[in-house]
Amino acid sequence: MMDTSRSPSEASGFSRKLAATIIIVYMVVTLIPISWMVATSFKSVDSAISYPPEVFFEPSLEGYVNLFTNRSRQPKDYLDSLPPPETWYEELVRSREMVITGPSKFLPRYSNSLIIGFGATFFSVFLGSLAAYALSRFKVPLKDDLLFFILSTRMFPPIAVAVPIFIMYRKLGLGDTHVGMIILYTVVNLSLSVWLLKGFMDEIPREYEEAAMIDGYSRMQAFFKVVLPQATTGIAATAIFCMIFSWNEYAFAVLLTQFNAQTAPPFIPTIIGEGGLDWPAIGAGTTLFLIPVMIFTVVLRKHLLRGITFGAVRK
Amino acid sequence: MKSAVKKFKGLSDKAIAWIFIAPTLILLLAINIYPLIYAIRMSFTNFYANKIGREVKFVGLKNYKKILGKEEIWEKMQITAHFVCWTLVIQALIGLGLALLLNKKFKGNELLTTLIVLPMMLSPAVVGVFWTYLYNPQVGLFNYVVNFFYDFGIFDMIGSSTLAPWSIVIVDTWMWTPFTMLICLAGLRSIPNYLYEAAEVDRASKWQQFIHITLPSVLPFLLLALLFRGIENFKMFDLVAELTSGGPGSATELASINLKREAFEKWKTGYSSAFAVILFVTIFGFGNVYVKVMNKIKDR
Repeated sequence: MMDTSRSPSEASGFSRKLAATIIIVYMVVTLIPISWMVATSFKSVDSAISYPPEVFFEPSLEGYVNLFTNRSRQPKDYLDSLPPPETWYEELVRSREMVITGPSKFLPRYSNSLIIGFGATFFSVFLGSLAAYALSRFKVPLKDDLLFFILSTRMFPPIAVAVPIFIMYRKLGLGDTHVGMIILYTVVNLSLSVWLLKGFMDEIPREYEEAAMIDGYSRMQAFFKVVLPQATTGIAATAIFCMIFSWNEYAFAVLLTQFNAQTAPPFIPTIIGEGGLDWPAIGAGTTLFLIPVMIFTVVLRKHLLRGITFGAVRK
Repeated sequence: MKSAVKKFKGLSDKAIAWIFIAPTLILLLAINIYPLIYAIRMSFTNFYANKIGREVKFVGLKNYKKILGKEEIWEKMQITAHFVCWTLVIQALIGLGLALLLNKKFKGNELLTTLIVLPMMLSPAVVGVFWTYLYNPQVGLFNYVVNFFYDFGIFDMIGSSTLAPWSIVIVDTWMWTPFTMLICLAGLRSIPNYLYEAAEVDRASKWQQFIHITLPSVLPFLLLALLFRGIENFKMFDLVAELTSGGPGSATELASINLKREAFEKWKTGYSSAFAVILFVTIFGFGNVYVKVMNKIKDR
């Protein structure tokens, strides 16, 4: 009789073990490319292009040094004539018969990603929470059409609107500027931010702000002092999703920025060493670029589903 | 002064609603709708964005006729369809399979889910460039792993025009299967236990339970996941741009990649705007029909 009362969520010991095994195998396989990338970042250039691929290797920081510096190859007698290297990274570069000629563009590109990411996240969450509150609490004419319209802006292929935006930005002087990219990413994120935040605000009981308003708060005060603090978790989750999007965005970045406001994603694939792409340096750039997103994913795990479906699935 | 404060306090709900919605609406109109209208307008001209002095002429439907009559464009559409269909089918099967397994609550379930989900949070362009290294026929890990137990020979995944369309399907599947998985898992967890208990009482077999309870309950969730993935993959650009950049030749030149070449390399602004409009209408049309069908299935 015991057997018949079983539901799939309380599966038998064996089938549960089998399921766990398959899942673990899938997890290992799916994480191989990511781990391989991190491993490559700690390889030397020679080790990264040896076959069979080296699973065990002598760790080297060459990738990271190459990522942050520009170098040039020099003849031996010139290298000998130089004073001895002052730092460990100079020594490493010298041992490859090269000298450091200056810092690379990685740091400026990375900080562009941070500036544009944080700027766009702030504005899309701020404006999004205002709109979400209004759509959640008030009678707005054509509300459903408005919400669908906001969502439908996500259906444009970015390339389709890139040409007009490119021309518009050129006229307005916003091309290749931080401000231009912040505005653009804010707008792209707004649909997600409005939809997610509306869901979160729908879950906050109206009684809270009504009680505050009976106590003499205005609607505005009630919004800023009662509703927003109540929605903190939702706002944080939304902010992280907006940040991840801006951080990962590539199409607009590669088409609209070049020198001044270029972010890391279009830059990382162009890191070239001698005779082709510098894989340890690309691995290093990729690793440094992906770490924040991985941390965010772990932080977000409870809200992940909601975020990726624009609030359509809430669990 | 006091009256001003009072007035602010007394701001009607209607006024607040519009003050709150206006900035979002204005930004969307300025940065999304205006460019779209601009693109539609340009699609009827022979405008070249790199030839500024040149006179812009209205050419009517010429661009549209040219695109729809072009053999090459149908090839791109076919390549896009191949990519979209295969990624959806494979991701639906694996995603649903993984979700069914994860639904058997075992220890470490949460941690495993989070780890499996990682690939889809990464930057597609950066993932693309890294996979070119994995796929590299001389030094890449891919061929090493494939040939580890049995010598299949070397697969030049990106260099061969027959394999390249599959190389993008593989990477997209690696990246986005967790998406389908997560959504299906939510569907599975929403099934109340008493349905299975009732089925046990009726002596329904495991297989019958799966067909009559599990599958119908998960289906709306699976369809929703596929809608999202379908739209995203139809406009796919970043991952493929860095992985194969449409090559070799034009074996993986998806619609968006082709659009980028026409618009930003050949600078055929009018022509590419027409193509962009066609793509947008296609996505919108398919999306609407799909949602209607999906809602019908849900209501059943």
